[in-house]
Formats: sequence, structure tokens, C-alpha cells
Amino acid sequence: MLKIENLTKNFGKITALNNISLEINSGEFFGLLGPNGAGKTTLMNHLIGFLKADSGTITYNDELVKFGDKQIKRKIGYVPQEIALYQELTAYQNLKIFGSLFKLSKKELSINIDKALELVQLLDRKNSAVKEFSGGMKRRLNLAVSILQSPEVLLCDEPTVGVDPQSRNAIFEMLQQLNKQGITIIYTTHYMEEAERLCNKLAIIDNGQIVASGSLTDLLNTLDRKKTIKIIKTAETESLYDKLCEIAAVNVFDFKYEIIQNNEFQKDSQLYTYFEKIGLSSNLIEVSSASLEDVFLHLTGRRIRD
Amino acid sequence: MSNIFQMFKKDLIRFMNDKTAMMLTFIVPIVLIIIFGNIFGGNNTSRGKAHVIFVNKSNSEIAKLIEAKLDSSSNIQLIKKYRVEGTDSILSFTEDKAMEYVRTGKHAAAVVFPSDFLLDTSATMNIKFYYDPRNEIESSIIQGGIQQTIFSQLPEIFPALLARQANNFLGETKANGFRNDMANMISSYFNIPKDSILKFASTKITSGLLKQTSSDSTKNSFIENLINFDSEQLVGKDLKNPQVTRIVGGWAMMFLLFTLTGIATSLFEEKQEGTLRRLLCMPVTRTEILLSKYLFSLSTGIIQLMVLFVFSWAIFDVDIFTNFTNLLIVIIISASAAVSFGMIITSHATSLSQANGVATLLILVMSAVGGAWFPTFLFPDWLQVVAKFTLTYWSVEAFQQIMWRQAELSAITLNLLILIAVTVIFNLYAINRFNKGKIF
Ligand SMILES: Nc1ncnc2c1ncn2[C@@H]1O[C@H](COP(=O)(O)OP(=O)(O)O)[C@@H](O)[C@H]1O
Ligand SMILES: [Mg+2]
Repeated sequence: MLKIENLTKNFGKITALNNISLEINSGEFFGLLGPNGAGKTTLMNHLIGFLKADSGTITYNDELVKFGDKQIKRKIGYVPQEIALYQELTAYQNLKIFGSLFKLSKKELSINIDKALELVQLLDRKNSAVKEFSGGMKRRLNLAVSILQSPEVLLCDEPTVGVDPQSRNAIFEMLQQLNKQGITIIYTTHYMEEAERLCNKLAIIDNGQIVASGSLTDLLNTLDRKKTIKIIKTAETESLYDKLCEIAAVNVFDFKYEIIQNNEFQKDSQLYTYFEKIGLSSNLIEVSSASLEDVFLHLTGRRIRD
Repeated sequence: MSNIFQMFKKDLIRFMNDKTAMMLTFIVPIVLIIIFGNIFGGNNTSRGKAHVIFVNKSNSEIAKLIEAKLDSSSNIQLIKKYRVEGTDSILSFTEDKAMEYVRTGKHAAAVVFPSDFLLDTSATMNIKFYYDPRNEIESSIIQGGIQQTIFSQLPEIFPALLARQANNFLGETKANGFRNDMANMISSYFNIPKDSILKFASTKITSGLLKQTSSDSTKNSFIENLINFDSEQLVGKDLKNPQVTRIVGGWAMMFLLFTLTGIATSLFEEKQEGTLRRLLCMPVTRTEILLSKYLFSLSTGIIQLMVLFVFSWAIFDVDIFTNFTNLLIVIIISASAAVSFGMIITSHATSLSQANGVATLLILVMSAVGGAWFPTFLFPDWLQVVAKFTLTYWSVEAFQQIMWRQAELSAITLNLLILIAVTVIFNLYAINRFNKGKIF
């Protein structure tokens, strides 16, 4: 349905998008996972026709999405990364102002406003000024404003940044509800857990490039090992650090070392034998099942949140 | 179009929500007109008097009478003495000294009643008026004031003068008979009551007469038929508050220039809040967004000017209603041009502080050079040429024509055409740049 082909965008010397190709199908909850500065927002901006690509094309239902395209904006809703609301106005005024730009009939607009307010659970606060809202309420209203035209696709650019866990869950549920109603959702985030929890299709973006894409299982399958091995940092393990590095790449964190998959030790048993050999006590070893974090680490050699 | 209107409405709602901004929109012009009005013209109090050197070489009593009337005039201040340079001695002006003072620009004008001010047999008063043509407006005010004073005194002076002549020739008793005859004749010829003529004719020229004020229109028409006072065109003679009227166009334009940053400020604000991007993600074009901002800035500019003008009318008696339609046209067109200048700045600025910086510079330079602060005829020639490259010049000029000379639209066609052309070209350019999406 939404097809991105060889999209490239430079900002001066920075290549924000580097030859990106992706396909998103109708009804998907599509996750775009990547660290800050990866190019997620830039890609979103192209999908909505807000930015002009240097090369490459985007098509929506086989129609070209052009820069400044008015039509696409009726079909695609966009939840910006930042709170994009008139703070001094009420929730209702904001909805009315932005909604009025979709050329809906008065009745249709007022129905849609009510529906949106209900979805984000702000009906009782609709006459309060936005600046009096909590971070979570603002996020919810930010979402409500983006669905007034009943879009076919909803772009959500990190909609949970700066939100308390309770509001975050509420936003997840709202999006899942919209998805169930048939709205295709494209969701960017740098939180692995969010992507794992919400998305049935995923793409991992780093440095303006798509490094992997597919379903969660597809992505986890790219890992040879379905488990991560971490070693707790102590005086003992610190003295063994050099030896660990002889058999595997080791990522150093504040409290832990993380052993990165190494082809020489295909089997876990070989690793454990080695640990025993160098005298690493087994209670300092943590094993957990692999996550998107590991996929990212495996693909880029870095953790997603540095 | 409906999108533009919706976004315009949005700006209006936001504006109305911001009580402080709204108050300022109205209060700033009011406060400024009060301050500037008092500095530059005031309410026809002594502060607003035009200063003029006065030398009376005539020993005629009529001359003394008029001098006394001028002394008490509310719009002219006679200066009769000067301080000798480098000393403490103060001397009365002579005609030569007066001419020197005007020539060297120490004063705008000098009035001299020569020794032949009023010859025994003559009905004409000779007055010499020296002035610096660069101060033509002030000279006009002075000339107008003197003429007005003389005219208003003539009905009293003339019969008294005739009476004195009659006494000299005929003796007291016969003169009374003559007075009666004369009054009969004047009243039958000029159709004014005999009593009023007799009253003045029987009055000796005494200090008591000086206290009389005359505003009776019949007397004026009598004199105007008798004496043909050949006057130059006196610009602004009828204006109630010429000083304020003269400057109000300049303020108006300066105000408009302050709206220059309006569009930039509002766009950068919306960019910062993220709402600009949200708007751009809605089915509206960039042109529509920019035009809605334009319309909003224009409306606030026009409202501010209306407040400014209404207050200059309410407080300083500036006549805005005689030529109101033309004034409105000039206001709207000037505002359009000023706001379009703001569009250009907005389309090039990469930050709000940059936009503000450039705008401040432009406001100051254009106001100064374009004649918003001082009349351009005071400028050196080259600067007068430069002035024509500022928006302010054409706009202030148009305001002056409309307010000062009560001119027809035809007198300012060129001004209006230039302002309209600037508006169209600047807007097209700005919209074109905005559409490329380089900055916003
Ligand atoms: N308008 C812009 N001008 C210059 N550089 C930009 C602009 N927008 C984004 N970038 C750069 O492009 C890269 C990708 O940014 P962005 O798409 O915002 O990343 P993300 O949303 O994944 O955090 C970053 O290096 C950012 O600095
Ligand atoms: Mg982003």
C-alpha cells in the first residue's frame, strides 16, 4: 500500500536518509525502530509530503506522494514527535481549529471531535487550556488532533516520549484500538519494548539506513543465538576482562559485560567450557532470551540507547 | 480561501485569548499619541506656539493695538529681545538683527511693522514678513496666525481710526454728526447694524478696547469687503492642530513598520511550538498559511492605525473625518505594503532574533530617512533622493497630502500605485520562497 523506494535525503553534509526502501501493507502496525538521529522523523516527513526527497519515490496505493501534496494529507494522519498544540487554547478549540482545515461538514467535524476526545479520554477536560494538562494528557490530545479526518494511515512519531507509564499504556491501547478499526499505523520509537509489544512488522533504521526489516520473529531469527549472555561486573570479572575479549567481542556497561556472539563459539556449551577454564564463577553469569536490543547490537555493534 | 479564513480565525482566537497582547495593541498607540502629541504639538497650550521675531517700528496706535493682540495670541509667541552674544546685555530686535537671525536659521521667521505700517490716508497695512523657505510649514502657521489676529481686530480698529481722523479735522461736536452720517452710510451699504458701528466709532482707542475680542462674522465680512488682503496660499491654516496633523502620518507609518516582525514572530513561534509543522501536515498549502498570516498582520496593523487616528482626533482635535474615505484607503494600502515588507524579512530570516534585528534596523532607517520623524524637505538633496527608495516616504507623503492638505485621491495616485506595486511584488516573492520550504 505504502511503498518507499530508494529514498535519499541530505541535509548539507548529513545524509539523513540513505537509499531507503520499505513496503508497508494495509492494516499493519508497523514499527520503525532506531536510535536518536537515525532518520525516523525525516522519513515520516517524507511520507506526509512535508519534505522533498533528493532522490527516490514514495507511492501510496500506486499514486506518487509529492512534496506539499494536499490529497495525501487527508488520508494520512500525523502525530508529531513534539506536542504541536496551541497551549493557551482549550483542547476543544485546538480540535476545532485543526479539524476545520479538513473541509468536513460541521456535523461530521463535531462527531469526529467527540469521537477523538472519547478515544483519548479527555471528554471531561475538553474546555481546559492545554497548558494546564499533564504531559500524558497533552500527548493524548496531540494524538486526538491527528485523527479528526478519519485517516487511513496514522504516523506516530515517538508518541510516548516524556510520558508516565500509565499514560503510556493508555496510548498503546488507543493505538491498538485504532489499528483494530483498520487504520494502518506506522510507529517510530527508540524503545525496544514498545516495538516488541505493539508492532507486527518492524524495520530497524540506523544512520539513515534500514538495517533489517520483517516480523519480530524474522528479526530474532537473524540472531544465531536466541539468548544473551551477560556477566556481572565485579573485581573478579574485571580481572578476567582481557581473557573474555580473546574469545568474543565484549560490550562494557556500567554494571555488566555483554558477550557478543562470535562464530568461533557456535555453541553455548563451548562458551561455558571457556568460562570455566578461565575461572569465572557461574553465579556471575546471566542468561536471558534475545530481544530486539540484541538484534540491533548484532547488526550495528552498538546498543540502541547509548 | 476557506482554509485561509480558518487559519486567520485561528490567529484571531489566539490573539483574543492573549489579553495582554490585545490590550497592548490598543494601549500602545494611545500612549504614544499622548506622549508624542504633547511633545510635538500639544493641546494648543503655550508649548505649541510658533515663535516669531517681532519688530514694531511704527508709532501708530493701531500697530500697538495689533501688537498687543498678537502678544495674547494662543498660537504665536512674539520674540522682541535678544541677548548679545558673549554678554549679559539684552537688546530689542532691530529689523536688521531680525533678518540676520532668520538668515542664520536661529528663528524661523520675523514680522516687522515698518514705520509706514499704516499711513494717514491709507487703508492698507504694510507688514514685512521674513522667513526661511526651508521652514515653510512653520512660516505658514505664523503668517496664518498674524493674519487671523489682524482680521479679527480690524472691525474694531477701522471705525475707531475713522473717528480719530474726524475729530482731528472737524472738532468734537461736528465729528459726532459725521459719525452718525458715516454709520448710516456704512450700515446701508454693508447691511450691518448702525449701533455696532457707532459703538466703536465713539470709543477712543484706549486700553479698554484691547480687551475686546471679536468673533462676530458680520464684522469680518464687512472688513473683507473693504480691504483686499492679498495672501499667499496658507497651508494648514484651517487645521485645528497643525503640529499634530503634520506628524501623525509619520507615526502611522512607524506603527506599521512595527508590524513588520508580526509575521516572522508568529511563524517562528508556530515553528517552535510545532504547530506550523502540524499545519503543514494538514491539507493546506504553504501559500494559504502565509496569506492567513498576512491577513492577520494586516488587520492588526489597520486596527492599530484606526486607534491612533481616532485618538489623535479625540485628544488633539486632528481632523480625520473631512477626508475619511481617502484616509482609510491610505491606511489600508500603507499597511499592506508594510506587512509585505515583513513577508520579505520573514522569508529570508533563519531565526526570530535575526528577523527582529533586520526589522529593527529597517524600521529605524526607513522611519528616519523616509520622513516619519522629520519632514524630508529638511534633508540635504542627496538624502531626499534616497528617501524615495523607502516605503515610508511614499506612505508618509500620502498621509500628509490627505491630512494636511485635505487632498483628493488623484493627488496621491503615484504614491498609492508604488505602494500597491511593492505589496504585490514582495508578496509574490515571499510566497515563492516560502513554498520552497527552505526555512519553515
Ligand atoms: N532540518 C534539518 N536540517 C539539518 N539536519 C537535519 C534536519 N532534520 C534532521 N536533520 C538531521 O538528520 C538526521 C536524522 O534526524 P531525525 O530524522 O530527526 O532523526 P530521528 O527522528 O530518528 O531521531 C540527524 O542527524 C539530524 O541532525
Ligand atoms: Mg525524531
